[in-house]
Amino acid sequence: MKKIVGVVKKNIGGWLIMLPSVVLFAFFVWIPLIQNVLLSFYDTVGFEKKSFAWFRNYVRVFQDPIFIKALTNTFFYAFWSIIIGFLLPIGIGLLLSELVHGRGMFRIGIYFPSIVSGIAVVIMWSYLFDPNPGAVLNSVLAFFGREPSTFLSNAKITIPLIVLTMTWRGCGSTALIYLSALQSADNALYEAARIDGAKARHRMIYVTLPHLKPTIRMLFILQIISVFQVFYEPLVMTKGGGPNGASVSMLLLSYQYAFSSFDASASAAVGVILSIIIIALTLLYFRFSRSEQD
Amino acid sequence: MKGCGKRYTAILCILALCVAALAGCGGAGGEEERIQITIGMWPDESLAKDVALFMQWKEAFEADYPQYEIVGQGYTYNPDTFLAKATSKTLPVIFQTYFTEPQKLIANGFIRDITDQLTELGWYDKMDETMRETVSADGKVYGVPRDGYGLGLFLNLAMLYDVGVIDKAADGTYILYDESGKPLYPTTFDEIYEVSQLIVEGFDGAYGMVILSADKNGGWQFANMAWNFGCEALQVQNSDGTWSANLNDPGAVAALEWIQKMRQEELISPDTSLSYADWYQKIGSGQAAMAFAGSDAITLPVTNFNFNKDDIAFVPMPTGDGQSHDSLFGGTPFVFAENATDEQVKGALLFLKYMGRSPETDETAKEAMRSGYELAQAKGMPILPDIRPWVNEDFKEMSGAMEAEFVNVNLAYYKDFYDTIAERKKGEEPYYCQDMYALLDNALQAVLSDPYTANAESLLITANNQFQSNFMTKVK
Repeated sequence: MKKIVGVVKKNIGGWLIMLPSVVLFAFFVWIPLIQNVLLSFYDTVGFEKKSFAWFRNYVRVFQDPIFIKALTNTFFYAFWSIIIGFLLPIGIGLLLSELVHGRGMFRIGIYFPSIVSGIAVVIMWSYLFDPNPGAVLNSVLAFFGREPSTFLSNAKITIPLIVLTMTWRGCGSTALIYLSALQSADNALYEAARIDGAKARHRMIYVTLPHLKPTIRMLFILQIISVFQVFYEPLVMTKGGGPNGASVSMLLLSYQYAFSSFDASASAAVGVILSIIIIALTLLYFRFSRSEQD
Repeated sequence: MKGCGKRYTAILCILALCVAALAGCGGAGGEEERIQITIGMWPDESLAKDVALFMQWKEAFEADYPQYEIVGQGYTYNPDTFLAKATSKTLPVIFQTYFTEPQKLIANGFIRDITDQLTELGWYDKMDETMRETVSADGKVYGVPRDGYGLGLFLNLAMLYDVGVIDKAADGTYILYDESGKPLYPTTFDEIYEVSQLIVEGFDGAYGMVILSADKNGGWQFANMAWNFGCEALQVQNSDGTWSANLNDPGAVAALEWIQKMRQEELISPDTSLSYADWYQKIGSGQAAMAFAGSDAITLPVTNFNFNKDDIAFVPMPTGDGQSHDSLFGGTPFVFAENATDEQVKGALLFLKYMGRSPETDETAKEAMRSGYELAQAKGMPILPDIRPWVNEDFKEMSGAMEAEFVNVNLAYYKDFYDTIAERKKGEEPYYCQDMYALLDNALQAVLSDPYTANAESLLITANNQFQSNFMTKVK
């Protein structure tokens, strides 16, 4: 204790300057986080803890068919985000790096959707995906002689369409990260490869991709973590995860438990389960990257 | 010495911040003796005429009851923010909520019992019994209905006329009945199906009917449809006193199969995310000719989409089994924050008289009601008869006289609805309605999403099992 007091006394000015940040961080991050974990072990009325419930809330949540649906859907979101949204920014990054003229303009064009508010983007896409025959995309389909689609109202394609929207907004910023990684590549390596007779394909496989590998790995795990937190897109686009729960995600379910059913303990339990999944994925990533470094 | 100076400066800065923060926590002082009543239904500042009217009511009230101070605190009930406000005890003393919410708010202890205050004012027995039930639990009353509503069928008369369903008189008004007095408008679900076919053939890009399917609104309207297809109730009490879900009743299955047929033949939109704001958007923009709606919402296409009020008719809910024309009935309630004191509740109830929303009929109440009608008239709103939340004779008389003076729509287009609502009204199912509606929404969405292979009965069995195991077993 004396030691701690000593350390604090020694740097009192620094501690005092740091104090507001520490207090705010604790107040807005750590306390709610701990409260949430505690809440998941209690029976609640509103946000008020009533009695200790052990693991009852977790059992209750696991027994709710919508939770299994939300869990499965969340993995589907991740799957489709890899299929639709993972390779696209790499491709765009590569294309941008090869541009000689108008690179600035294309960079702005690609990044532009990222500066639009997320809610505005999903509302705009909801209009485009209007299932009525006279709506925008259905008119385009009709122009090409195709049958109208019900888009988001078709349970089979709801998640891919939502992921498409997320990709449209997010892939520009990811592509710029890839572009900056590509621009930091040592030109000498490319020149050496050319001297050795490597063709463009070989330069891509043996120079570009190995150089991008750490960035790809980092962005891959960040993308998975971010997709596991998909929330406002189904909330707005399918009015809470429809049709028939086809697009409900874990975070959306947590929100619905809290604000629609006023069931804060079930909401907290879903939040804890989601955190555990994300922590597990992150640890897996660290383990995977460490073993590679070794 | 230099380091010491920096240290003192840092300490002084922190102290200054703390003092500034604490200064913000100070009270205004001064008028502690007056009891403050925060009014959640206070209009938004942008509605200058409405605010002026509320200020007029406030001044009249405070002159008569100087011990009270009315504080406008515009609060629109919203499930997203409600829990935070309720938990932090910052809800207004009185606020308006959705007609579907009271039971949930009561169960969670967010609103308070006002039975004693109602009894003391002599208002308890004057409240419409069915509406009182919607804001009551265990014999205690938790709210006051602002006004009543019954579900009915909204008709776009211009579209119905264009496809030859109804006729027009020489003076340009629509003729809704044949010579024998039989309605020309649809009174059965089969007739809605037939009229919808005509609408789809006659109008490019329009649907016959709006069927809601999201935000629990689909389930809410579907419950009424199920009743009218012959389902007595979606929740039934067993002989041992326990309750069972009955969502897969043959009547409910028939109702869902009707929706499926409408969807298969593209007479309704395939959209699985239509909620209450969508019906008047679809009607107002000419994308549909018919919709189920509450009688308190008939004006929405007019106020939001400049829909011609003379093209509106509102008729009783259709029947599916040839005899049931039930109309789901309820009221938009004013409720009271759990932490409101007895005095505040009493003051808030008294203020309702100054708004013309109480069963009182003295000069003050009469003037308040009149000023409300005059404002609606000045704003060019369609004024319809009310479904009265208070049933005392003097209130009915006063309200009837006001309606005779101010109603500005052709009552012939509403006659059947208002003439029959008293005998056809039916309150909501008793338990966990919102959760039941959410499960029914899912069944509706499944049928709309997959109309050719979905099995209506099996979807309702799934919904029934979930409702039974998750909710009905909790009913004591």
